[in-house]
Amino acid sequence: MTSLATKAHRADARTRRPPFSATLRSEWIKLTSLPSSFLALGGILAVGLGGALFLALTLESSGVPSVPSIERTMGEVTIGTVVVGQIIAGILGVMSIGAEYSSGAIQSTLLASPTRLRALWAKAIVAFGVVTVVALVTVFGSWAATYPLYAQFGLDAPLGAPGVLPALLGAAAYLGLCAAFGVGLGAVVRSTTAGAIIVFIVTLLGPVLTSVLPYSLFSRVLRVMLLGNAGDAMARVAPEGAPFLDVWAGHISAEAGALFVCLWVAAALTAGAVALTKRDA
Amino acid sequence: MIRVRSLTKTYGRKVAVHGIDFTVEPGRVTGFLGPNGAGKSTTMRMIVGLDRPTSGTAEVNGRPYRELPAPLREVGVLLDARAAHRRRTAYKHLLSIAATHRIGAPRVREVMGLTGLEAVADKRVGGFSLGMGQRLGIAAALLGDPQTIILDEPVNGLDPEGILWIRGLLRRLAAEGRTVLLSSHLMSEMTQTADHLIVIGQGRILADGPMREVVAGATRSAVRVRTRDADRLITAIAAPEVTVSTRPDGALDITSLTAEQVADAAAASGVVLYEITTVAGSLEDAYLSLTAGAVEYRSAPAAGEGAVR
Repeated sequence: MTSLATKAHRADARTRRPPFSATLRSEWIKLTSLPSSFLALGGILAVGLGGALFLALTLESSGVPSVPSIERTMGEVTIGTVVVGQIIAGILGVMSIGAEYSSGAIQSTLLASPTRLRALWAKAIVAFGVVTVVALVTVFGSWAATYPLYAQFGLDAPLGAPGVLPALLGAAAYLGLCAAFGVGLGAVVRSTTAGAIIVFIVTLLGPVLTSVLPYSLFSRVLRVMLLGNAGDAMARVAPEGAPFLDVWAGHISAEAGALFVCLWVAAALTAGAVALTKRDA
Repeated sequence: MIRVRSLTKTYGRKVAVHGIDFTVEPGRVTGFLGPNGAGKSTTMRMIVGLDRPTSGTAEVNGRPYRELPAPLREVGVLLDARAAHRRRTAYKHLLSIAATHRIGAPRVREVMGLTGLEAVADKRVGGFSLGMGQRLGIAAALLGDPQTIILDEPVNGLDPEGILWIRGLLRRLAAEGRTVLLSSHLMSEMTQTADHLIVIGQGRILADGPMREVVAGATRSAVRVRTRDADRLITAIAAPEVTVSTRPDGALDITSLTAEQVADAAAASGVVLYEITTVAGSLEDAYLSLTAGAVEYRSAPAAGEGAVR
């Protein structure tokens, strides 16, 4: 009887496709079994929190602004997380697939998920989820740790004030999206190094370069479209009455920023999906 | 059961696999032999869906690998022993593969026991020797208790104990009625493990049959004799179809005659024989003769060899 039951179970397992959650769990095990993942996630936390604390602690020596501005305070609370975190998050995403290509482990991944896209979605979801959670801890931690330091000068940005909560959530979501962007990018370039360079260009170097380009429609559009600038907008508190998008002034609302970032992620994952399914492993 | 039909793979203008057909049957170990660049690995990669065929089909249990609902439970694959992240531990590497098919930690522990990896379960893969890497790859292939096992060069880097172990393992898997496809460059290993042979060269099948037949078909057995009166013996056995070659140590290899015929002829002409043996062809001879015209990367003959000939 026992052997019959075992056989039936085995035949069943063979003819039934394992659920998507099984692939998610596999990617979770992979991410959490590498020291480099913890280094990257710890880096986001340390730089984000450290940057915010540094700016808050040096507030007095660098000159306390005379007019309280929630926009300014929130900019300083999230700047460390966004500026450095976006690169670390993007590279973490690239690594989750690029390192498999360099080590050959991609073979095991594709043998287990021969339709391939399942593996790509699982990687993107796990990277997005893990990075978003760490970034949430980072930005809320930064906000809470610096709150009393700003409050003593009347510069505090309470959670209930317009735009504060969306800016914190936006900063965390942006980092998660950067990680998902990295996964798609990694599937295209198949190399951690190449992917890391591209992440650096579209998040940090690009915005700097476009700001020194001659003033033209092209440079203005390029500027608002770059991942780094769009993401920055997601983590900001916009001044009251600001438009959705003002290309000439370079203003991007949080909503417009989120839209552009999502477009970047969608483009990267689509390109990654095409590359993964069309090319030989 | 693996079935390959008109399988072709081209890279640009170079044809790597040239419309090959073969079937790998269950219940025996099938050896897959061929020189470097013959298309062995490409064929294996197409069977398991890593590379897409230019044309033709490769099916496992009646379906292309990509369409198997739970591939790891049907096919166990080892293509590259080093295909694991160097910084991950052996246990986590296997666990991450097992998780995709809801194979639990107990089975992971079981295959680690089976492949002798318990002691290094929590060691990072980067520190593994090639032999340990092979064991890890074999452990991964066995996770889903598959009916079909495909191994590319599994004995590479294994120590003698490991080679003995894998030989026993493959024989046992075949005896249980599983399909085993194994590629190897080690002829002696193949002779002792495989029942059936598929020889490939320059992307074409050169031979496909039971080991004994392939070896017999590609080599000729000879009668080896040692005598002081070589010339008289050669005269005594002379016939159009008989060839005699002298070996470096002075022995003669005579083809197209049985040992009895040679001995009778020697006795009739009064030639004394010190030694007479029938020499059967080896797999190595068969392999070299089959692939002689199909070697992609040939090493240049060593200097001086030509002068001796």
